[in-house]
Amino acid sequence: MGLLDKQFATDSIVVTKVDDLLNWARLSSLWQMGFGLACCAIEMMATSASHYDFDRFGVIPRPSPRQSDVIIISGTVTLKMALRIKRLYEQMPDPKYVISMGSCSNCGGPYWEHGYHVLKGVDRVIPVDVYVPGCPPRPEALLEGLLKLQEKIRNESLVKKSA
Amino acid sequence: MTYDFFFNLTGSYVWADIIQSLLPLFIFILPFALFAVWLERKVSAHMQDRLGPMRVGKHGWLQTVADIIKLIQKEDIVAENNDKPLFNLAPVLVFVGTYAAFAAIPFSSAYIGSNIDLGVFFIVAVSSFVVAGILMAGWSSNNKYSLLGAMRSAAQIISYEIPTVLVIITIVMITGTLNLGTLSEMQTGHFWNWMIFGGPTFGLTKILLIPFMILAFGIIYTSTLAEVNRTPFDIPEAESELVSGYHTEYSGMKFAMFFLAEYANMFAVSAIVAALFFGGYQSPVGYLGNLFNIPWLVPVEQLFWFTAKGLFFVFVQMWLRWTLPRLRVDQLMQVCWKYLIPLAFVNLIVVGLLTLL
Amino acid sequence: MKTIEEIFNLLKEKFGDAIIELVSNRPVESFIVIAPLEIDKVCLFLRDNEELSFDNLMILSGVDDANGKNVPDEDGGTKIEGGTVSVYYHLESTKFRNKIALKVSALRENPEVNSVESVWRHADWHEREAYDMIGIKFLNHPDLRRILMPYDWEAGYPLRKDYKNPEFYQGMKVPY
Repeated sequence: MGLLDKQFATDSIVVTKVDDLLNWARLSSLWQMGFGLACCAIEMMATSASHYDFDRFGVIPRPSPRQSDVIIISGTVTLKMALRIKRLYEQMPDPKYVISMGSCSNCGGPYWEHGYHVLKGVDRVIPVDVYVPGCPPRPEALLEGLLKLQEKIRNESLVKKSA
Repeated sequence: MTYDFFFNLTGSYVWADIIQSLLPLFIFILPFALFAVWLERKVSAHMQDRLGPMRVGKHGWLQTVADIIKLIQKEDIVAENNDKPLFNLAPVLVFVGTYAAFAAIPFSSAYIGSNIDLGVFFIVAVSSFVVAGILMAGWSSNNKYSLLGAMRSAAQIISYEIPTVLVIITIVMITGTLNLGTLSEMQTGHFWNWMIFGGPTFGLTKILLIPFMILAFGIIYTSTLAEVNRTPFDIPEAESELVSGYHTEYSGMKFAMFFLAEYANMFAVSAIVAALFFGGYQSPVGYLGNLFNIPWLVPVEQLFWFTAKGLFFVFVQMWLRWTLPRLRVDQLMQVCWKYLIPLAFVNLIVVGLLTLL
Repeated sequence: MKTIEEIFNLLKEKFGDAIIELVSNRPVESFIVIAPLEIDKVCLFLRDNEELSFDNLMILSGVDDANGKNVPDEDGGTKIEGGTVSVYYHLESTKFRNKIALKVSALRENPEVNSVESVWRHADWHEREAYDMIGIKFLNHPDLRRILMPYDWEAGYPLRKDYKNPEFYQGMKVPY
């Protein structure tokens, strides 16, 4: 992206429209690899089910990390599992996003003080984009997390370097 | 008719041929595949009492467009231990195998991609390319689940080709031609001239043939369901069994090729079933063009009827997917070799005897 | 149906010194204390005897007794020296609807107890858990390795009273 960088130092209209199209495509079809580990997985399944439908936003569950854009880490991340999560994250193709759902994957949750086997927050192994608090978060909360992720993607740009 | 039109337009046989064969691909099949993905999500959603894509364009009709643009942007991962030539070639083979079959399908009386006398035989032969593609995909992924899925899928497809071919032979025995265009022309008139109701010539044979034709339709519909790896025969790509089967390791555009090829294949087999049994592009009630004496309207109406029948069978395939549980792989093989093939043979013999009447 | 005193007397006759005592002055149910290196023979007898027939090991759990001396450690915490660790067995007889409890104590420094996996197969995983959490080595166990913590965990046995979390495990920071 070096040449494009120098040419479009300000937001010219051409790049903006392409940016918008590509970002819209990415945020409208976020295929998720739901990584349900513990109790938050039940809430994630409830979000995909009929009352609070995930598919309305274009999010379908894919079984393989190679075909998914967003991985939703829901549940307690143990040290044993953390190595596998890292491997799965590296198997996902770019551009990829991570939603950390629930207290346990945000910061260790109820196991923060005495948990000898718990990784205190999944952001110690993979970079997280959106944290959804709750224990477990209600489906509406997870949907809000998804909408915040969509907002974040909407503001990305081809030429400006993201943070 | 369209061949002559393009010949007059461009003035050379070659160009007319090329444009005429690429026409169904870009005007019909690719938009159809995009539509079918959306339709599947909506049908599955409504059957599960939820809504399906709603945000992306009105009622989600732009969803597949967004999916495709997103898949184009994805990184194309080829792992180090994969067999690179095979890995890159496999989606191409699957794509080609399914799309090439559309060349011999009769869309309307004015347009058949290539009106060869071997029509049905060509379609069955060309759609067997996908077996090679699937095996290559499974092997080169360097992943034991993919290999298992590919093996099962290959076994399934080649086993279920046998009942399909047996039923096709049954129809060929009655009509005497392999050419799909001629077959569709023979079922002209109203819906009682369709093959499933015994064929165009009225007589004792026609009445006696009806139950056997219905049985033959059941056999061919089931075995073509298995050929396109749809539920209840979708062991090769079942999530809980095999983590997405033979297309586990594909990302981005290559996965999009597998994805679109599956939906195009669904339409191809629905079209064949419609052409063989349900009158192809013929209308069940007569043509408006004939009624109002506008001759060029008739092929257009035929295209509409053909699409409607194909879409109906595709809808039934999707309906079955979200209703029935999956068959285990040994049950799958059992159904084919122990039930469908003997039934198809018996059907063949009885129909052969009946045509002697 | 035999009471625990009768079972204790029966075992004492047969095994003599391996059976150490019967503890019944606690608010919990009474239990029989057995020597650590003879436990598998005693359990085999308890399972195969016609009148006892304890064919179900309900649970086997390791416990850190923490009855040693607290000495200050180099990092400012305390370590426990001396004392014992124990394994409690709860057996059940499905034929006579009877339950008893057994206890085995071993020294804390290098605890070794005979494995009862040859008597009841599912003691396999229970003993792996006791090894993982308390550090008790079971002799003659076919596959003694960690079961709950990661397989290459170096930092000790988590359910001991003087356990401290390590700083890093394979690049991940462990404490909060």
